[in-house]
Amino acid sequence: MAEVRLKHIAKAYTGDSRVIQDVSIDVNDKEFVVLVGPSGCGKSTLLRMIAGLETITDGELFIGDRRMNDVPASERDIAMVFQNYALYPHMTVFENMAFGLKLRGLPKDEIRERVSKAARLLEIENLLDRKPKDMSGGQRQRVAIGRAIVRNPQVFLFDEPLSNLDAKLRGQTRIELQKLHRELSATMIYVTHDQVEAMTLGDRIVVLRNGDVMQYDTPLNLYNHPVNQFVAGFIGTPPMNFLSGRITDAGPLRFESPNQEVMIDLAETGYGNALKPYRGKTVVLGIRAESISHQPFTDRTFHRQPVVVEALENMGSETLAYFLVENQRFIARLSAEQNLSFGQRIDLFWDSTKFHFFDAQTEQAIQP
Amino acid sequence: MSRFLRYFLLLLAAASFIYPFIWMVSASLSSERGLSSLTVFPVEFTWSNYGSVFSKIPLGRAFLNSVLVAVVTTTLVLISGAMAGYALARLRFRGRDLIFYLIIFTMTLPFQITLIPNYITMVKLGWVDTYFALIVPFVLNSLSILLFRQAFTSMPQALIDAARLDGCGELRIIFQILFPNILPTVLTITILTFMGLWNEALWPLIVIRDEPTMTMPQLVTLFSVGGRAEGQLGVKIAAAVMLAVPIVILYLFFQRHFIRSMASSGLKD
Repeated sequence: MAEVRLKHIAKAYTGDSRVIQDVSIDVNDKEFVVLVGPSGCGKSTLLRMIAGLETITDGELFIGDRRMNDVPASERDIAMVFQNYALYPHMTVFENMAFGLKLRGLPKDEIRERVSKAARLLEIENLLDRKPKDMSGGQRQRVAIGRAIVRNPQVFLFDEPLSNLDAKLRGQTRIELQKLHRELSATMIYVTHDQVEAMTLGDRIVVLRNGDVMQYDTPLNLYNHPVNQFVAGFIGTPPMNFLSGRITDAGPLRFESPNQEVMIDLAETGYGNALKPYRGKTVVLGIRAESISHQPFTDRTFHRQPVVVEALENMGSETLAYFLVENQRFIARLSAEQNLSFGQRIDLFWDSTKFHFFDAQTEQAIQP
Repeated sequence: MSRFLRYFLLLLAAASFIYPFIWMVSASLSSERGLSSLTVFPVEFTWSNYGSVFSKIPLGRAFLNSVLVAVVTTTLVLISGAMAGYALARLRFRGRDLIFYLIIFTMTLPFQITLIPNYITMVKLGWVDTYFALIVPFVLNSLSILLFRQAFTSMPQALIDAARLDGCGELRIIFQILFPNILPTVLTITILTFMGLWNEALWPLIVIRDEPTMTMPQLVTLFSVGGRAEGQLGVKIAAAVMLAVPIVILYLFFQRHFIRSMASSGLKD
């Protein structure tokens, strides 16, 4: 049983500049939580504070029922996997995995048993006598994970463990990590800057920015109901398209882009009431690339937008079409059968039920 | 032709370096009468010079003293240097950089400047004529601290973090995790320290007067200039050869590392 609770955690290195502002997160037992955000958002610092590698300036950290603020790293019953693996170069794989157990004074037989069990699980039994320098990146990563597993910790911490692997291996390892999480049924906290990793691995995701939690929710909720413009733009590939404009009520309530290239009747979007208070004010419209289609939707309302195709990326299964709206680059994810060409004028159809609106001042999402 | 000339000049230069040493060895094996000529091979070959050296001074005892002092001090230099270097490289504390610059500053002071204060300290501590006088003043070595600091700075932080999570304290991190991964630096420091200590003659001359505690260079120096050689040049030279032999043997074993040590430290003593 190990839930991890962060209560108003803050970190400052010198003076008042806080790299972690005020973070409160509850990670349930056996949950896989991903900390994600752009570089410099404080996600690694937060993880290192949980690990005990950084002191906690303010707030409280609990693992299980125990307050961990002043407990040394080695006594927190956690294990960590590092981005550059951090294997001891002068030790063999076996020694690397056994080292922590040896220091804890476990009997030799048990160490051997635990190491070989973990090695079997990770399929690295044939590597036990090798030194780290004689292995590939993927193999080293497995050993690093093995070193964490043998400790049998309450909580696993991962600090960007896949970012040194090539794309194919990254995909494979991602799946294996999911499997591992199920098999070990342990609490896992995982740091990455890659939102695809976050979406595929996390039971829940913490989106961080400048040391503050933007949103803490399930992947689907982050995707469908981002609480602010930052989360909306960060989660999802390609990123959400944004367009700022004014809400006008000369006639029906409408969203108008600055040069009136885009005019949307809000009655059909479900935002009619929510946007009434914004009359005369600026808001930001957001729409995802996959909510734009080359043909009219039959089952729901849509907005028709004539555009000029600026660039195309044919991915085989789909085509990404780039076009400008009010001099902002938009991306649409269209089905691949389209025979589109550069500079072509086409009508694209925006799913009116999939619009997001954000307060231009606060960047907060406006709820329908 | 130019190639021939080039090699000729190089050979000439090499000979000018090696010849004094060759002559020294050959002279030590010559009879006293043969010493006046510059030769390559011994004149009237004899071992008697070496016999005289050993019968006149306790060279064996001095050799053991030198080994003891050099080994113990080098070990302590490695330990203290690694600990101080680690702290300066990896720990965060107030005044860290100031301390580091102070340590670097002490490197600019020649040993001769601190000779008198050090001597007075030894007298006050009652360490004159003891091994303490030969060892303690040398166990903190700013060059070793500097080299260790550079080596530890270049190690990845994650390695230290991983060790800490595995349950290592700072000492174990230094000596069990980091040390084995900076062996070239360790070897450099070992060689430079050991050689410096082995060849040190001035300091022992000041603090040691008791013959059984004397180190080899001191004893040989005293023997050569102190009249005990009774003017026999061959015997003096034999003593000098005995002094050089251990370092030459070490050099043959660790040649590669010696050269790298000299190159990496940028120092030549």
